[in-house]
Amino acid sequence: MFEPKRLHPITAMLNALKMFKELIIPFLLIVVFGSRGSGMGLLPLIGVGVVLLIIIASGIISWLRYTYRIEENELRIEYGLFVRKKRYIPFERIQSLDFSEGLLHRPLGLVKVKVETAGSNGLEAEAVLTAITKNEANEIHDILQKSRANGRIDPSLEAEDVPELEEEVLYKITMKELLLLASTSGGVGVVISAVFAFIFQFEEIIPYETVFHEIKEIISSGVVFVSILVFLGFALAWIVAVVGMILKYGNFILKKVDDDLIITRGLLEKRQLTIPLNRIQGIRISENLLRQPLGYASVYIESAGGSVGDTEGSSANILPFIKKTRIRDIIEENIPGYIVSNEVTPAPKRALKRYIIRGTLILIPVVPICLYFFQLWGLLTLVFLPFLALWGYLCYRDAGWHLEGNQLKLSYRSIVKNTVLMQKNKIQSLSMKESHFQRKRDLATIGATVMSGLSGAGGSVVDLEEEDVLTIYHWYSRDEKSAG
Amino acid sequence: MLLEPQKRISERALPVWRITGAIYSIFMLLLCGGTTGLTLIFDWPIWIIAIAALVLIVFVYLMIFLLPTIRWRRWRYEVREQEIELQQGIFITRRTLVPMIRVQHVDTVQGPLLRKYKLATVTVSTAATVHEIPALELDEAEELRVFISKLARVADEDV
Repeated sequence: MFEPKRLHPITAMLNALKMFKELIIPFLLIVVFGSRGSGMGLLPLIGVGVVLLIIIASGIISWLRYTYRIEENELRIEYGLFVRKKRYIPFERIQSLDFSEGLLHRPLGLVKVKVETAGSNGLEAEAVLTAITKNEANEIHDILQKSRANGRIDPSLEAEDVPELEEEVLYKITMKELLLLASTSGGVGVVISAVFAFIFQFEEIIPYETVFHEIKEIISSGVVFVSILVFLGFALAWIVAVVGMILKYGNFILKKVDDDLIITRGLLEKRQLTIPLNRIQGIRISENLLRQPLGYASVYIESAGGSVGDTEGSSANILPFIKKTRIRDIIEENIPGYIVSNEVTPAPKRALKRYIIRGTLILIPVVPICLYFFQLWGLLTLVFLPFLALWGYLCYRDAGWHLEGNQLKLSYRSIVKNTVLMQKNKIQSLSMKESHFQRKRDLATIGATVMSGLSGAGGSVVDLEEEDVLTIYHWYSRDEKSAG
Repeated sequence: MLLEPQKRISERALPVWRITGAIYSIFMLLLCGGTTGLTLIFDWPIWIIAIAALVLIVFVYLMIFLLPTIRWRRWRYEVREQEIELQQGIFITRRTLVPMIRVQHVDTVQGPLLRKYKLATVTVSTAATVHEIPALELDEAEELRVFISKLARVADEDV
């Protein structure tokens, strides 16, 4: 382990693929437009070819240059294509090693290792070993574990005497839960909006006017046909989303090892994520419209630093789909200091009117616009009124707060119902807001922010009893003077 | 009832905000002037000019006269041993508590306008949020910055 080692050769290919992925859109543009220009001939294609060669070559060279070794209780990495870089990471600074396996890794028995330190920003890990064999990865893991344990217990102890780490599986997704999770997720919306975003990206290329002209003809050929098309489109998007979620959350396991929570998930690509307990800043329980009536929820953890959850910011989904009644045991037994209870002080009755008005407010600009474009038909938008009012009512019903010891609980709904648990010493700042109209009714808004990755997360509840908001404000204030 | 934070920001904030408002008003003037011009050229209905004039007047009144006054009157702050309390807002009053132990760093910022009036803005950053106390007298801002950073350093609770 002490001599410099290279990563697995497949790394060269992974490097090249990664660079290629970033360039794919310019390439497509060149190919599409380049072939149209008459004078240029094959020039653009040759250019693309040359760039491809460069990418492949640099992939290979950066693999050749990248070495890692373990020396004097440090992970030492040397790399760099033009500028040679050395990065030495002392073991004490390493917060977690996260193993993940991509599609190319699995058949070869390789893993990708991400080294997280407290200092790594939310965007990337401190160091990434793109592909090494599982044995090598485990070896690094063991060395790290031993040296840490030695440092902590007694430096004279033999490495072999290190007590085995406690490992406890807290949650394992079942097939039924996985299917329910996939079919009740909001992923459909994401897929649809991604498709839209993609279409509008290429506004310049696709001749929309001709397309629209044809669409007009299709529309005139029958409403039924169009509705079937739209329906099929939605069904397809739904299936894509469901399959995506199943691949993402298949084999989801939450473990507690020592003082870390470890998540592993993924059917095709296996990912692992480590959250040290002392980095936890807050807990969010969210229930979307489909899951709430079924009694299911998902639980997220806001954590400080570390590139937690590659794409979803710094909230880590620790329990993606779970019966609400089970959350309490898992959280309270394993994450010290947090209390999950149903106790909540709701918003006062007189706030209901404001919630419903706020819910329906969106219609005010929409109705005149629709009236202008569709004449009387625009009044059909009023059909949405009861739904919006219902939404306002739901927001009202789910608003609430509760103080318990050191913990502030805020619950509120935007579309999804969120319950946020925050501890006083983790809240970065707290504010109360009061508009003129709220003051007249003795209502106020409370908001609290905790740290999450590089930015903040938290919660805010509108239209609570003013006295309640002041109670929370006092609770958070550290100087008795202000309580006067 | 909670006591309001006691300290006000500098009175010289008012002219600064009025000047800023005036600068915005110039843009509004251009916009409304353009609309009026187009209306005259293309013979659009005359009431468009009336509306443009009205919008301009209201805008100028709000940006230069009313809003800076309310904003100044509402702005309060207090730096105590363990926390900073801010109160601000024009239509919605917002009061914020920032504990000293959460403060990561303090900056003073000074644009050309503020410099001319010998004022500075103090920004207080926590790990997740940034808070601003605008338009303080220069030496007061400096004092505050030193004071907060001294108090913030004493705290040693973890993040």
